[in-house]
Amino acid sequence: MRYLLRRLAFYLLAAWASITLAFVIPRLMPGDPEATMFARFHGKLDPQAMAALRDTFGFSDEPMWRQYISYLGHVASGDLGVSVSYFPARVGDVIATGMVWTLFLAGMAVVIAYALGTLLGIAAAWRRGGWLDSIGPPLFVLVGAFPFFWLAMLLLFLFGFTLGWTPVRHAYDSRVSAELSLSFVWSVVTHAALPAITIVVATVGSWMLDMRNTMVSILGEDYITMAHAKGLPPRRVMFRYAARNALLPSVTSFGMALGFLLSGSLLTEIVFSYPGQGYLLIQAVRSLDYPLIQGLFLTITLAVLGANFLVDIVYVWLDPRARRGQQ
Amino acid sequence: MTMGMIETMTGGAARDGTDRSSMPRRLLLVVCLAACAPRSQSEPGVLLIEEKEQTASFIRNFNPLVEVGDLRWPALHSMYEPLFIYNPLDGAYVPWLGTAYEWSADHRHLRIDLRRGVRWSDGTPFTANDVVFTFGLLDKFHALDLRGVGEFLDSVTAIDDHTIDIAFRRVFIPGFYYLAQQPMVPEHIWKGVADPVSWANPHPVATGPFTEVSSFETQSYQVERNPYYWQLPERPQVKAIRFLAFPGNDQAAFAMVSGEVDWAGSFVPAVDRIFVAEDREHHHYWFPPIDGGVLLYANTTRAPYDDVRVRKALSMAIDRELVVEVGMYGYTRPADATGLSDAHRRYKDARAIAAGDWIRHDPARASAILDALGFARGSDGIRRLPDGSRWQVLIQVPSGWSDWVRATQVIARGLRDAGIDARMKAHDFNAWYEQVQSGDFTLAIGWAEPYPTPYGYYRAMMSTATVKPLGISAPENWHRFGSPEADVLLRELEQTADPAEERRFIDELQHWFVENVPAIPLFPGPLWGAYNTTRFTGFPDADNPYAPLSPNLSPQALLVLTRLVPR
Repeated sequence: MRYLLRRLAFYLLAAWASITLAFVIPRLMPGDPEATMFARFHGKLDPQAMAALRDTFGFSDEPMWRQYISYLGHVASGDLGVSVSYFPARVGDVIATGMVWTLFLAGMAVVIAYALGTLLGIAAAWRRGGWLDSIGPPLFVLVGAFPFFWLAMLLLFLFGFTLGWTPVRHAYDSRVSAELSLSFVWSVVTHAALPAITIVVATVGSWMLDMRNTMVSILGEDYITMAHAKGLPPRRVMFRYAARNALLPSVTSFGMALGFLLSGSLLTEIVFSYPGQGYLLIQAVRSLDYPLIQGLFLTITLAVLGANFLVDIVYVWLDPRARRGQQ
Repeated sequence: MTMGMIETMTGGAARDGTDRSSMPRRLLLVVCLAACAPRSQSEPGVLLIEEKEQTASFIRNFNPLVEVGDLRWPALHSMYEPLFIYNPLDGAYVPWLGTAYEWSADHRHLRIDLRRGVRWSDGTPFTANDVVFTFGLLDKFHALDLRGVGEFLDSVTAIDDHTIDIAFRRVFIPGFYYLAQQPMVPEHIWKGVADPVSWANPHPVATGPFTEVSSFETQSYQVERNPYYWQLPERPQVKAIRFLAFPGNDQAAFAMVSGEVDWAGSFVPAVDRIFVAEDREHHHYWFPPIDGGVLLYANTTRAPYDDVRVRKALSMAIDRELVVEVGMYGYTRPADATGLSDAHRRYKDARAIAAGDWIRHDPARASAILDALGFARGSDGIRRLPDGSRWQVLIQVPSGWSDWVRATQVIARGLRDAGIDARMKAHDFNAWYEQVQSGDFTLAIGWAEPYPTPYGYYRAMMSTATVKPLGISAPENWHRFGSPEADVLLRELEQTADPAEERRFIDELQHWFVENVPAIPLFPGPLWGAYNTTRFTGFPDADNPYAPLSPNLSPQALLVLTRLVPR
């Protein structure tokens, strides 16, 4: 328990740091959000209209520290403000349109990639020098080296356009309405398949390689030899003795990978016109929409921190030492 | 008004349709051509429109008074209608909710007759009170007065149910344009709205042809006909309009090429090969050069660019034919010396154009002028400035606007041939925009606003009223050129309703521009528009130019929407 509490304290600190970074970083970008915002009016905007709009959007000339204080207050009360580029929508509502889809797509893809990669790694290490071990890692590492969006376009072209097997855009068919029906679920699944496969294909290799390498070193340990000597069935040795221990480092990197994955899925989303955070983030940065950038940074970092906390809990369950350490 | 070429990529500030695709994405587009087959079709009579609102997901906002926000297309293009629609192709005002207008003798009053028999989409009649109420809202909530009518408008009163009188604070004839195009909102709905600035108006009640939102999903929505539309039963023939979310030009181009989209307004590179060749019978485009011009701005507060002879020499060093061919895929033509786009063709003065010999590519003369001014070439072939330093200059361009980037490269090469060490410098749009606005640049490629008459254009180019000090953000007149003589002409023009008089002042302004070269015109901007006649006919084109084709123009899109016929 103490271990988890300690981790929790660390996450609170990390959350504060990321909240502060979300405030500082957009303000370091070149350009002036007001100028960008009012660009389309090119001087036709009445000064009074401009002043009134400034107030509505919350552009402020206050000193930075006061902006920071009021920002902290708003974040604490869950108010992320009004989006500038999606005015008059509130940042929370704008993010809500994409967050679910990003979490669904990226979450599903990372879980599949992790599970698949780990299983492949176990199998490859178990039959070291076998065909899977000799072909798998180099192949997947090669594929994983391609940029996400490039791979996405290739798959889109191949399966979406040329073969016509999968839909080419959106999260579900535009003729199906979003309700809990079989046709809607089916539509969501078919639409997510290709983007998810892209992410899985691009990331499965590194999981496999990680797992394989840890497995190989663990298979050399004395307790494995001991387990074999005791006459335990090979499957039991493979999963309960070798794989469980080999999982520990890869569980840690699983938590960290979530963050990278969210950023990588952004490009995938754009290629597939998927309604996730990807386009929102780019749009927010382009229009210097501070509230939206902050909101997105915040939700992404909180999602990653949350996932890491879950990973910590899993870690405690996997590694008895973490449990025993505090008693 | 909407700026045809302006793109919403940067929340409204970037140029629409400007080609910003990266190489790999472009590659895919080209590769796809061979394979793209028509796929899912909408139901018959439903027009699928691809407009400039590029987004991954839609937010339900139909408030026509706050154009700054993330507004859905129908609000300004099919729901809320103005009194008159300005048609940039012939310069005429098409009577819409207003049927006729008349100035008083002293031009301080404008009387407008309103159309009879118009109903809001909930069945309530549209009357003069709605017009009075709309202008009242602009006065009450300054954030809504985006056209700045409060600056010259005194009062709007209803004479009877179908006539209004608009009183002006001062004589300002160009103000008619802004009054005419103001979208009208219903008093009986909007009077109950506490804050119309931040109201998303999810269930619009309007006078336009398509008002009934029948479905609204994250990535698609559909708007059905207004049952009370005043042009029914003749128009519109289209049953409903439908929209899909496209996050970028490439995704939109895919849908166009594969025949899903009926009417589109985003930039397509090499449109003949990519789009038309797919289906020569049905795929068409029309890119008339009637948008605002694209110019090379020289900061006139910096030497030697403050010298008109230098600006003329720079202009002669530019091969505009090549700029247009390489940069713009030949979609437009080189500018003439007045800098006016084809939307102002009827105002162009042939003598002013003829006097502008500096618009022609003439490297020999450019060199001769610079030699005569004492900018001698050094041993490296680069000219020396009076202080003995090499003549180096950066041309600022927004990165990713690949058409402009290519154009700038051609310009830089021309200047280098003339002995100026010119280099292109690409910046992120926001940084570029801040630099040009605050005057922190030497040379920059930039746009000019598409104004209804040359008045706005020349005001932006050379009125002292638009010159801001360096460091202060200037929405236009980035080059900081102000001329008291031009001010006089502009003031006269503001107070002139007589066409002959107007003509005379505009001619003089053109001569003034040609003589002083405040900025260096490159080419008029094309207005992107493409269509597919598989399911609908009646789109405007070069042979039938009844309106601009681009769906990105409001309220002009109403002219097209009401004329389309399903097959």
